[in-house]
Amino acid sequence: MIVAFFGTGDMLADFSNEALRYMSIVAGFALLLGVISITRVSAGVVRKREKDWPHKIVLLLCLFTMAGFGIFQGITSGTVFEWLFENIQKPMMATMFSVLAFFIASAAYRAFRARTVEATILLITAVVVMLGRVPMGQYVYEHFPAVANWIMMFPSVAVQRGIIIGAALGAASMSLRIILGIERTYMGRG
Amino acid sequence: MKMPGDKPTSFVERIQTIDRRILYALIFISVIVPLFLPLKLPVPVTPETRDFFNAVEALPDSSIVMLPFDFWPSTMAETEPMAVVGLRHLFGKHCYVVGLSNVGMGGPTIADRLLDSIGGEFGRIYGIDYVNLGYKPDYRAVMLGMGTRISDIFPTDYRDTPIEDIPLMRRVPNYDSVAFIFIVADNVAVDYWVGLVNARFGKPMGAGVTAVMAPKNLSFVQAGQLIGLMGGMKGCAEYENLLERPARATRGMDSQSMIHLFIVVFIIMGNVGYYAGKRRAARS
Repeated sequence: MIVAFFGTGDMLADFSNEALRYMSIVAGFALLLGVISITRVSAGVVRKREKDWPHKIVLLLCLFTMAGFGIFQGITSGTVFEWLFENIQKPMMATMFSVLAFFIASAAYRAFRARTVEATILLITAVVVMLGRVPMGQYVYEHFPAVANWIMMFPSVAVQRGIIIGAALGAASMSLRIILGIERTYMGRG
Repeated sequence: MKMPGDKPTSFVERIQTIDRRILYALIFISVIVPLFLPLKLPVPVTPETRDFFNAVEALPDSSIVMLPFDFWPSTMAETEPMAVVGLRHLFGKHCYVVGLSNVGMGGPTIADRLLDSIGGEFGRIYGIDYVNLGYKPDYRAVMLGMGTRISDIFPTDYRDTPIEDIPLMRRVPNYDSVAFIFIVADNVAVDYWVGLVNARFGKPMGAGVTAVMAPKNLSFVQAGQLIGLMGGMKGCAEYENLLERPARATRGMDSQSMIHLFIVVFIIMGNVGYYAGKRRAARS
């Protein structure tokens, strides 16, 4: 796969694509494994009448109703799956995400205090970016959009790049550890 | 001496202990009112959105563009207007659109609905002018595999039509025929499009992402891996205005302005109260 990523040639491409198809199939089975796992855990909770067991019944009902309609009737437009998705699942997911606005505003008011120099810098930056990223900011101070954009493009990108490089190095070293058999915790062994 | 639970008496105490229900009510009002009474504030355009718009504008008419709908329904308030404005721009330029999704839950359904509705606005026909390939598990396998043969990864489209029976797909065996990739995402999929498809196949691409993802993706813009970026609803509103078709994102900007201003005012109030309280405590 690594050779195919950098190299060219039909044979290499065919081999790489075959491996990728296997990868996609394995990922599909991983989804199935997830369904089996959540069913086992939830069914266990219901059987033992543990905390929140009625919620688990709802979970299992929803899971198998959606999956059942999807498998037996299809998922394209005009199907029950699509109706359930458009009219129940989508609004519920959007609602969950929208509620965040209320919590963020409340948390910012209660917890965002300029207690230290670092917290003060963070607070000033947040205020400038929040105002600079909306049209009203230019009416509060005409240079807010330019300052906010500078913060986003330079200090913020510098930090983000550091995080990305750090995460990539971490992923590479972890992959090497797994390939070389040093890291075996994913198999339940140290 | 004051005990916990005692009612606040001074102004300083009061502005530090506003009931959360009042805050929630004010947030609700600040979101709803501008939707009915728009302020119509002008939206300044950021360079990254202008670059994105210009890159799409510079595509030759009738180019083939791939549009991954890589977002979950939960972020649709931000991401759906991006897909809509992108489709309007592309169909307006007579481009052919290959839609797909790397998000299993919701992505292909949203793609199908948007492609049909915006395609319908421009009189485009499924299979000839646009197609929805649907979803296949594993980002990496899908993105890399399409570089060799799309039919290996998607033997059928979302509607179960064999790929070789779709006229548009006969012209798109792999990325070679794709002129541009217009990503709309709310997750790490952008990293893979950049890291695998841009790096390996050199395909030019731009991305519309949620506001929280914008800072990370700006590093790809600065590195030239993404030509441009629509960051959150603001970025989408900018794009809508560049296209001269203000829509949902532009309408949402008034609410976003109000809520940002509201949060800033409350942060300042909280801090004024905190410092005044500290000074008073030090004096006494």
